[in-house]
Amino acid sequence: MATYVYDGSFEGLLSCVFEVFRTKTVPENIVEEQYHQFTLLEDVQHIPADEGLAARVLTGIDARTEDRASTIVYQLFLSELPKVEMLIFNFIAAVIQRNHVSILENFANEFILKASQIERMMHREIHRMHAFVRFQKAKEGIFYAAIEPDFNVLPLIGEHFERRYADQRWVIFDTKRHYGIYYDLTEVQFVTLDNPVFNLSSGDLKPEIVDDAEKIYQTLWENYFHSVNIKERKNPKLHLRHVPKRYWKYLIEKKLIRKSA
Amino acid sequence: MSKILEKLTILSDAAKYDASCSSSGSKRANASKGLGNSDGVGICHSYTEDGRCVSLLKILFTNHCIYDCAYCVSRRTNDVKRAAFTVEEVVDLTINFYRRNYIEGLFLSSGIFKNADYTMERLVRVAKTLRTVHNFNGYIHLKAIPGASPELLHEAGLYSDRLSVNIEIPSEASLQKVAPEKNYSDIITPMNYLSGEKDRYIDDKLHFKSTPQFLPAGQSTQLIVGASPESDTQILRLADDLYKTQKLKRVYYSGYVPIQTDNRVPLLSAPPLLRENRIYQADWLLRFYKFSVDEILDEKNPNLDLDIDPKLGYALRHPEKFPVDINRDDYEMILRVPGIGVKSAKKIISSRFHQRLNSDHLHKIGVVLKRARYFISCPGLPAQQKDHQMIDIKQLIIAGETAQMPPQLSLFG
Repeated sequence: MATYVYDGSFEGLLSCVFEVFRTKTVPENIVEEQYHQFTLLEDVQHIPADEGLAARVLTGIDARTEDRASTIVYQLFLSELPKVEMLIFNFIAAVIQRNHVSILENFANEFILKASQIERMMHREIHRMHAFVRFQKAKEGIFYAAIEPDFNVLPLIGEHFERRYADQRWVIFDTKRHYGIYYDLTEVQFVTLDNPVFNLSSGDLKPEIVDDAEKIYQTLWENYFHSVNIKERKNPKLHLRHVPKRYWKYLIEKKLIRKSA
Repeated sequence: MSKILEKLTILSDAAKYDASCSSSGSKRANASKGLGNSDGVGICHSYTEDGRCVSLLKILFTNHCIYDCAYCVSRRTNDVKRAAFTVEEVVDLTINFYRRNYIEGLFLSSGIFKNADYTMERLVRVAKTLRTVHNFNGYIHLKAIPGASPELLHEAGLYSDRLSVNIEIPSEASLQKVAPEKNYSDIITPMNYLSGEKDRYIDDKLHFKSTPQFLPAGQSTQLIVGASPESDTQILRLADDLYKTQKLKRVYYSGYVPIQTDNRVPLLSAPPLLRENRIYQADWLLRFYKFSVDEILDEKNPNLDLDIDPKLGYALRHPEKFPVDINRDDYEMILRVPGIGVKSAKKIISSRFHQRLNSDHLHKIGVVLKRARYFISCPGLPAQQKDHQMIDIKQLIIAGETAQMPPQLSLFG
C-alpha cells in the first residue's frame, strides 16, 4: 500500500489515479504535495502531472456513463474538501467496475452517495453565486464583483454570467483564492489583479475608480430591499437559512446592517 | 434622486403583499448579445427578513386607484401617500438593477388609474420598451388588469413572460362583500382569453417555427387566506379547478396581513401563517404528488389539521394503504409515505434496481425515518402491526417533532 503524492492540480490527481490502475495497486492515500508529511515506513510515490494520462481517465469514465462522470469528478475536485482525493479514486473505481451509467443512481453505494452529496453542495454554492454576485460599475464601464465562496466555484460560474451579461464587460474576483474571471465582450478569461480594485474589508470599489451613479443605485436597491419586507411576518431563522451571515460581506443590501452590527 | 427614492419606497411597499416572486419556467435566450438571459431556472437574489425570496423588482406603477377593496392597502378611501412612476423611470430601475445582478427581472403591478385600458397600456409600454429598445431578455411579469381590451392583453402576452390576474377573495359571495365594484366574471374573462391565446400560439408553433413566444411562463393568481370565511376545502377546490381549466402555473396563497381597520374584513392579531403554510403543502400534494382534493380533505374534515402536514393526515386516515414495501411497491405509493419526498422516492426507485434497500440506506438517502418508519416495511425496521392505532402514531410523531418544528416553511418561489 503506497501513498501517492500529486502537485495539487486536477491533472496531477488524475495521473495518480491512472498510475494506481496501471499498477493494479490499492492506494493507502492520495495527498497534495504541500500537505504531505513524510513518515517512516511509508511507501511514497511522487506522480508528475501528465495531461495525456489525465485525459484518458476522464475519457474512460465518460465512456461508461454517457459523458456524466467527468463533470462530477471535476466538481468533487473543486470542492477542496479534505480527503476528497480518495473519494475521487473510489468513485472512479466504482464507475469502472460497474461499467454502466446506472451506477450513478445507486445511492446505496457509499462513494456514489457521498459524491452526489458533494455535487449537491457544489450545485448549491454555484446557485448562491449566481444569486449573490453584486456588480459595481466602475468609471471605465467595467462591472466588478467580489465573492468569497465556500468552494472553488469560480471556474463553474463564468458561462452563466457570459450568457446573461453579453453586452457589458465584467470581472468576478474571488478574494479568498486571489483570482478572478474577466469577460471582455468576447470571451471569459482567468485573471489575477495585482492592485486590488476593492476595499477588501467592505467589498466596495475604490472611490477613485467607481462610477458616479453607482452610489445612487446601491441606495435605491438597499431601500427597496427593506421596504418589501413585511414586518408582521418577520422570520429571522428562515432568513438566515437562505442568506447565511458569511455571505453578507459583499451584499449591498446588507451594508447598513453590517455597519450597525 | 430623492424623488425617485420616495416613489420606490411607496410603490414597493404597496406591492409587497403580492406573494408571487417566481422567475422560473421561462426560456428567453440571449441570442443577439443583448442584456439578460432566462434559462428556465429561477434565482432568488436575496431574502427579506420575513424569509421571502427577492427575485424580481416588484413594484406598482402607481398606487392611485379608483377601486375601494377592503383588503387592499391602496384602496381609494385609505389615507396613504400616493405616487406614480413614469415609463422611463421603471425601465431605468429595471435595467440598472439587472446589470448589477440584483434581480431576475420586473414584476409590475398597478392600482387602476382612470380606467383599465389606460393602466394596462402603461404596463405594456414598459415591457415593450425593455424588450425592443434595450434588447432585454430578463423576466417580465405583468398584472393583467381586469377589463382591459383583448388587444392590449395580447400585446402584453407577447412582451412578458407571465401575466397574472389576482382573484384574491376565494368566493364570489365574499368578494361582493369586500369589493362590491368587482365580480368574478371580470377576473375570469382575461384569464380565459389569455389561456386561449396561449393554446393558439402553441398550436401555431407546431406548424410555423417562426411563431413568437406568448407568455412562456404562463399565468398565475393569488388567493387571500383569512380575510373571508371560506374553508380550506373551498380554497383548494378553486385552486384545483384553476390548475385544470385555466392551466395556471401557480396559485399563490397569502395569509391575510391585517392592514388598517376596515370593518368589512376581520380584525386579526397576526396573519394566519401556519394555515397558509398548510394550504401550500396541500397545493404541493395536488401538483407534485398526484393527490386529489378529496384525498386531502373531506366532509368530515373541511379544514386542514394545523398540527400535522396534510400528507401525514392522509396516511393516518388511510391505514389500509400502509405499510408500503420499499423494495416492491410502485413509485406512486412510495411517494405517499410521510417523510419521503419526490427526490428520495426517485432515489429509492433507481437504487433498488441495484440492490435490496434497508433502513440504513433510506436514512442516508435522506428519508425522514422517524416519520416514515410507521408507514413502510423494509429490512432493518420492525414489522408494523396491521392494527396499529393511528391516533398513537400521530401523538408519537408530534411529540418527536414539536421541539424543532419550524413555524413557517419556505414555499415561495
